[in-house]
Amino acid sequence: MSIFTPLSIGRSALLAHERAISTTGQNIANAETPGYRRQTTEFAPQDERHGYGVRVVAVEQAVDRFLEAQLMRQESHAAAADLRSDILDRVQDLFPVEEPSVHGSLDAFWGAAQRFADRPEDLAVRGDLIARAEELAARIRSVASHLGLQQRELDERLGGEADEANAVLARIAALNGEIVAAEAGGERANELRDQRQIALSELAGYVEVQTRESENGSIDVHLQSSGLSLVLGSDVQQLVRGVGSATGLDGNPLSTLGVQLGSGAVIDLPANPGGRIGALLILRDDDLAGHAASLDAFALALRDSVNAVQTDPAATDLDGLPGGDFFSGSGAANLTVNLSDPRGLAAAVGANPADNRNALALLDVREASQAGLAGANLTDFYAGLQAGVGTAARSARDEATLASSVKTSLEGQRNSVSGVSLEEEFTDLIRFQRGFQAAAQLISVSDRLLQDLIGLVR
Amino acid sequence: MVGRVTQSSLVRGFIDHVQALQRRSAEAQEQVRTQKRINAPSDDPGGAARATRLRSEDNDLRALQETVGFGLSILGAQDASLEEAEALLTRARELAVQHANELVSPSERQQSAIEVEEIERELIRLANTRVAGRYIFGGLSTGDAPFVAYDDPGFDPNTPYVGPADPFRVRTGRDGETTRLTTPGDDVFGEAILALDNLRQTLLAGTAPSAEIDEIATAADGLRLERASVGARSRGLANRGEEILSSIGATREAIGEIEDIDLVEAIMDLQRLQSALEATMLSGQTLQRSIVDYVRL
Repeated sequence: MSIFTPLSIGRSALLAHERAISTTGQNIANAETPGYRRQTTEFAPQDERHGYGVRVVAVEQAVDRFLEAQLMRQESHAAAADLRSDILDRVQDLFPVEEPSVHGSLDAFWGAAQRFADRPEDLAVRGDLIARAEELAARIRSVASHLGLQQRELDERLGGEADEANAVLARIAALNGEIVAAEAGGERANELRDQRQIALSELAGYVEVQTRESENGSIDVHLQSSGLSLVLGSDVQQLVRGVGSATGLDGNPLSTLGVQLGSGAVIDLPANPGGRIGALLILRDDDLAGHAASLDAFALALRDSVNAVQTDPAATDLDGLPGGDFFSGSGAANLTVNLSDPRGLAAAVGANPADNRNALALLDVREASQAGLAGANLTDFYAGLQAGVGTAARSARDEATLASSVKTSLEGQRNSVSGVSLEEEFTDLIRFQRGFQAAAQLISVSDRLLQDLIGLVR
Repeated sequence: MVGRVTQSSLVRGFIDHVQALQRRSAEAQEQVRTQKRINAPSDDPGGAARATRLRSEDNDLRALQETVGFGLSILGAQDASLEEAEALLTRARELAVQHANELVSPSERQQSAIEVEEIERELIRLANTRVAGRYIFGGLSTGDAPFVAYDDPGFDPNTPYVGPADPFRVRTGRDGETTRLTTPGDDVFGEAILALDNLRQTLLAGTAPSAEIDEIATAADGLRLERASVGARSRGLANRGEEILSSIGATREAIGEIEDIDLVEAIMDLQRLQSALEATMLSGQTLQRSIVDYVRL
């Protein structure tokens, strides 16, 4: 203890409070900065060796690690659910409630078939039936081709998402390097850590990941689904797009996504790696492919059941010849009407051209149970398909709403831990201002003591 | 939310709340605008599927209605023709009875044969009646006449009918039910034509008709029977039409129940959401206040 001790204590207090005021200032300045986490200045008493007083131990970030991890997971779910809801909402537009629609064209086809049975010799009626059939086939083809286009779009989007995810991975790795370098001296690189956290939650939108922080402050990133590492320290293992063996609805190959290891080998992503990339894979491989398969089954059942009546050995057309196939094609994508001459429609059984018994048999197809459609008739099967598409869109929308409200609530919780409250910062400001003023008083008292002492000697 | 409340979480919460309200009122607005509860399958997947089935049923019922109307017009035309045919046979029978009398001279009989011939020609003409180009006693065919005309060199009273042998049926029910519209012309007029031709030849030979009188009477009974059958089928079809009409009403009502909104309720909902939105907006003004307004450092 010496006469200078109060002076140096005052000096340490001034410096510490100055630091605290600037931390508070930093908090106030960044109150609205996205990803910014509130910082607090931690004081500790200085020991004798350093001449007493106070010192700033650290400027800590207010972080709840558990909450941050939960939030990242939710980020993946919400991004996936949002994308899924958007896409399925567009898919259901292909199965509208109102006309024009496949079921509207199907109804029109049967309506024309009924008139055909009433007036089998009327060429205009026959022509109308063929025209309605062409319209129906075109409508089915159009839905099939839109499903194919949407699948292709999703496939191409996979590549884009992977590229963007790679950029984020590179940013995380670079920040890892900077943080390790900056923190080597003992100071926490809080602002860099904020940036890294922003990048991590951005990455979580692309693919679901888990993170592990090392001693030196860098964070390793792994795929949640398979544990494959994406970032190790400042090294990145990128996502790469390849050409797969599976073909899409348009007949062209679909792409695959994998992680490229340091050795150059590529390991494919699992079926659902989560995030937007996971959602894209599931939509492409399950939802769209499934809807297309149902539509194919519908088209084939229509083709086969109508053709069976038309090509019945006893059936004859207007010229007494046996009937030919009505529809041709191997699926929904290429279903076409095979007949062009209205005379070729087989309405009759036997030689009498005025007979309509085969036309009546055609009408029976309307309500007939179809083996290829699990016993449903054509209309019921289509209605079921429509309900399936609607249910998928609806549950995806509900899922997205739920995921986003959970995310909002988690963000609120994080905000309550890490967010800046102006009221709090202002009270801190007052507190530190008073501390600073008190320290200044201490110095002026020490100063007077010294002056008194010097005056004594004089 | 627990613990500390920050300015940005207040603002965020406010924005989320406003957005949710805006989304819901946009949905309510669409419902009021389209007056439909289901605008996409996802609005009510089960309802959309039921509506699709019902709409298909509605379309089918309207097609059936058209068929019933068509059937009624054919049966009506048959009834009118058969009535005329009956009158012709009545006249023929009168002539037969009249000339069966021993007092009638052979030459008088030969003269009346001309009238019978005219009746026969007329009956065949009736048997070849067409509606919209289709022979109503010839299986609704459109090509050649089903009965060989009296003046045709190929005319043979034993086989006057050359039309289709099968009756023409139309689909009149959703369960595959059909209604017969025609009876093969042979069964309707064959007997009558033969009886008339026999009478004509007997008279032409100057002989007194006897068995021919009964033949004509039997043939007339046959026509009456067919006419009764036409009437019965016509009534059946008319009833079917009534049923279809009420089914259409029921189907449309069911579609409406699934798809249509209760307009009053929808508008009330919309208004409620609008006021909630306004109130929330007003509450947003308090967000402008903060500690900065109160503290002087």
